[in-house]
Amino acid sequence: MDAEAQNSFREFVASRSPALLKTAVLLSGGDRHAAEDLLQNALVKAAGRWQRIDEPEAYVRRILYRQQVSRWRLKWPRRELAVAEPPEGAQGEDAASAAELRIVLRGALAKLTARQRAVLVLRYFEDLPEAEVARLLGCTVGTVRSTTHRSLARLRSLAPELARLDGPDTGARPHPTDLSPMEA
Amino acid sequence: MNVEELVRESLREQAEQGGPVPGNFADRVLAARRRRRNRTVAGASLVVAAATVMAVAVPGLDGDSGRQETRTASELRDGDVVAHPGQTPPRDLIAAGGTALAAYYTQKRVPQGKGVEISARTYRLLDQRTGTYKKDARWSVLAVAPGMRMAAVLERELPARRIGLLDMVTGKVERWIETPHGTGGVEFSPDGEKLVATTYEESPDRFDMEHPMTDGKTTEPGPANPSRTGFYVIDVASGDSDWNAVKEESDEVGLPSINTRQDFGFSEDASLVYSGLTSGKHPMQYYDLNGREVSAPAKEKHRHWVNEAGLSPSGKLLDGGFAGGARTTASAILDPRTGKRVTKVPGQILLAWADDKRLIAWDIASDGNEYRQRLVLVTVGSKKTVPLSGYRTGSLKSTGRWHPLFADR
Repeated sequence: MDAEAQNSFREFVASRSPALLKTAVLLSGGDRHAAEDLLQNALVKAAGRWQRIDEPEAYVRRILYRQQVSRWRLKWPRRELAVAEPPEGAQGEDAASAAELRIVLRGALAKLTARQRAVLVLRYFEDLPEAEVARLLGCTVGTVRSTTHRSLARLRSLAPELARLDGPDTGARPHPTDLSPMEA
Repeated sequence: MNVEELVRESLREQAEQGGPVPGNFADRVLAARRRRRNRTVAGASLVVAAATVMAVAVPGLDGDSGRQETRTASELRDGDVVAHPGQTPPRDLIAAGGTALAAYYTQKRVPQGKGVEISARTYRLLDQRTGTYKKDARWSVLAVAPGMRMAAVLERELPARRIGLLDMVTGKVERWIETPHGTGGVEFSPDGEKLVATTYEESPDRFDMEHPMTDGKTTEPGPANPSRTGFYVIDVASGDSDWNAVKEESDEVGLPSINTRQDFGFSEDASLVYSGLTSGKHPMQYYDLNGREVSAPAKEKHRHWVNEAGLSPSGKLLDGGFAGGARTTASAILDPRTGKRVTKVPGQILLAWADDKRLIAWDIASDGNEYRQRLVLVTVGSKKTVPLSGYRTGSLKSTGRWHPLFADR
């Protein structure tokens, strides 16, 4: 990397790292230190190909997603993240308030696998279409669809309070007990 | 509000709470890169290296600190050019720039009865404890990952129902990946994170008397009809795989337009796979990872699968194939975007880029036998060649004739 490339790399890091770190924090399930490591690793890879990359941000994001999925896979046993608020912490009628639900949900998100979380971040934070998510993660659209479905189901099982949101009165997805035998 | 909306809101909220980026972050990144480059040449194969390290139960990759993985023989022999011009077939590691001879194989026809023969390979794989090439007759086909710590191996009988991930330090298979569709060929993506496995119904190395070959005096089994069915794309770290059927390509009169063995390979950025074609308008057909036919990426429109070196590491130059005369050897270097020749380099067949200016090639001796070749290093803009190996036998049928396999060091 020559001096000119180093300067452009530094400019990129200065201007784009805040946004990239947000994504990394989400991918790490809220673990700030893991997020910095993740972003640093992605940027090291990008630095190695700096003069050959046409769209650095897209490139770094792609590495972030793939690397996170690979990294967590390699760790065994899977690292559990300590969260301040256990998913089961909020209970009872009042737990359904939006703020508390978000706390419950955040705890549940941290307990998903890296791949499940990456798919949710891409779909619901980056708002990307399924085909784009598949391209970024190097899998098929079908895999994205099934992982999204399984991740949401896992969130529901980790945080039963969420079932209230899906009740028939909200007009959204019917509660499992409301399904006809055929649908079930 | 439903769960999806709550997920969306929670993610946005959490993202905002990440806090500021450390002020010296770019310095940290560049320092980490320098440290890694000193430790391992193949930065892009970190994930693979980590997978192998896990597999051999050596304290593993964790951020930047405390990495204690075994240094491989190829890492210890880190001179720019490691040549053994007196050795054929090679016994000790051969390398130049960022590329090394990772393995080589010899071939022998093995009769199977009823006029069927299998062209069986015997591999000599780099032993990363000793830095020598060691015969490993267990495998019919293998591919070596960037960094040369791991090889993907197929057992003797093809098509194989599983792919082994072999640790090149211990020589042991650390993991098997099931491939129920039957695999006959494997190749790593350039970053080592993925494998493309080509699936076949029958051995892709099969010769039979339905397609005999004759030289006028004797008749022998010829290459069987292709039985290729599709490809798996496999995530090396997890073993997750997706299989895609690919219909058999044929020309306008219905003859197959692929060889009996026509393995898929990855495009430069591993977002697509390609197959070579033996007839038709284009020499290569690209597919997305779901098996749909797509057009070639801009930089690969002029790539031809028989020109093995392909794109240079920077993607700015392309192997353009033979450009010599009746008694002289030379190879063309093309601009990949236009397909126009940029220059010529010495060398009969370009095999692999050592870096952005140099290539490892076959070249012939002054006796003019086009099949008696040795590995040489050639440089763009220079007529000089550096011998890397001894000459291999000029007899095509000799079982001692060796075929090299290169990987990133």
